[in-house]
Amino acid sequence: MKNRKLLFVTQFEELWFDALQSLMDLRKAGFNHAVFLHVIAREKVAMHRGKGYLKDEEVKLREIANVRFIDWAESLFEQGMEVGAYIVVGNPLPKIISTAAEEDVDLIVTGYHKQGKLEEIYGGSETLDILQRTSRPVLVYKYILPSGAVNEKPFERPLLAMDWSTASERSAQHLLNYKEIIKSVIVVHVASEKEFKGSSSMEIQSVRKENKRKMEKICEAFEKQGIQTESHLHIGDTCEQLEKAAREREATMIVAGTTGESSLKERLLGGVATKLVKFTALPILLIPVDEEV
Amino acid sequence: MSKKVLTVDDDPDISVFVKTVLEENGYTPVVAKNGEMGLAIAREENPDLVILDVLMPKQSGIKMYRELKSDDSLKNIPVIILSGIAKRTFLRSQEALTEFGDLPVPEPELYIEKPVEPDELAEAIKDMIG
Repeated sequence: MKNRKLLFVTQFEELWFDALQSLMDLRKAGFNHAVFLHVIAREKVAMHRGKGYLKDEEVKLREIANVRFIDWAESLFEQGMEVGAYIVVGNPLPKIISTAAEEDVDLIVTGYHKQGKLEEIYGGSETLDILQRTSRPVLVYKYILPSGAVNEKPFERPLLAMDWSTASERSAQHLLNYKEIIKSVIVVHVASEKEFKGSSSMEIQSVRKENKRKMEKICEAFEKQGIQTESHLHIGDTCEQLEKAAREREATMIVAGTTGESSLKERLLGGVATKLVKFTALPILLIPVDEEV
Repeated sequence: MSKKVLTVDDDPDISVFVKTVLEENGYTPVVAKNGEMGLAIAREENPDLVILDVLMPKQSGIKMYRELKSDDSLKNIPVIILSGIAKRTFLRSQEALTEFGDLPVPEPELYIEKPVEPDELAEAIKDMIG
């Protein structure tokens, strides 16, 4: 099995050790190396009027992060994971992208950092910016379930969102990398109401049949690996329906392909991936269409 | 000719500290800042001793240690692991690290928890390589 590495990005706000701990199942899928990254935002230590660069503050923040990471590393070692750590000062986004490249990680795990409405529209949130600037899979890890409990096995029952684009085909293929820890996959396609407008009953049934046939094909690939599958066709708003399907079918995460579009239109109107990241309460695994293999 | 000691640590303060202890005690220090660089230097320089941190970026200390101890030409070089990770934890982790990795993690010749006093480190090096 290939040795895999994950990058765990934490500001010690949205992702704590229990999040990391709940990902330990990934060891069975070949992940035996975790790299921690904590970025101390430049404005916390940068030149302040009358004070200059706050070197003492930087040392303090570094040491606090270091103590936490050593504690986490000890727990991971005991579970057979190798650990590396970065504590750096700077702008989080470029540091995340450069560390992922330097370490050649197979998965970036990050929380969802909400920003103000205007910042989000014009600047985009940090999480969404990561998606637009990397060609590595990103797990936006919302690990606390609506019940308040920790999502103990996020990869156990993923919902795979298929829209038949190259990106979604790629995500189905990628999901097989986690075959050792997946028990069942819920394949969902959301058709828009437009597809059915003005059609005869016969045509509607043909659309349904064709989509079902495509979903069955995806299911077959998983079943060949001993993974149970189910497929469901929904009609309506993609994001709403995926969220609904995930809730109804008790999915543990949502998996989707992403094209990493960064246009203003995408930011303003929001692609499916963007909306999912913002609104769903489940972890979301996003696979870029140009994923580095 | 003085004995050569390779020290591998990503923390520049620790590297300078170990380098100074080595120089003051008549050894020749060679410094690497991560496991990848450390392994390359070990192959090139064939040091008499390696002082290795565990928690490092790039190739981790464990990975370097695994490769060092599995390489016929390097496996007899004694290793002192100098780490913030508790010794007890490391020793307890060997089995699990071996289970999920591709190469075994044998017990190091010596394990010292950070921080270490200069005299303690110098003494440990002297005991190992003279």
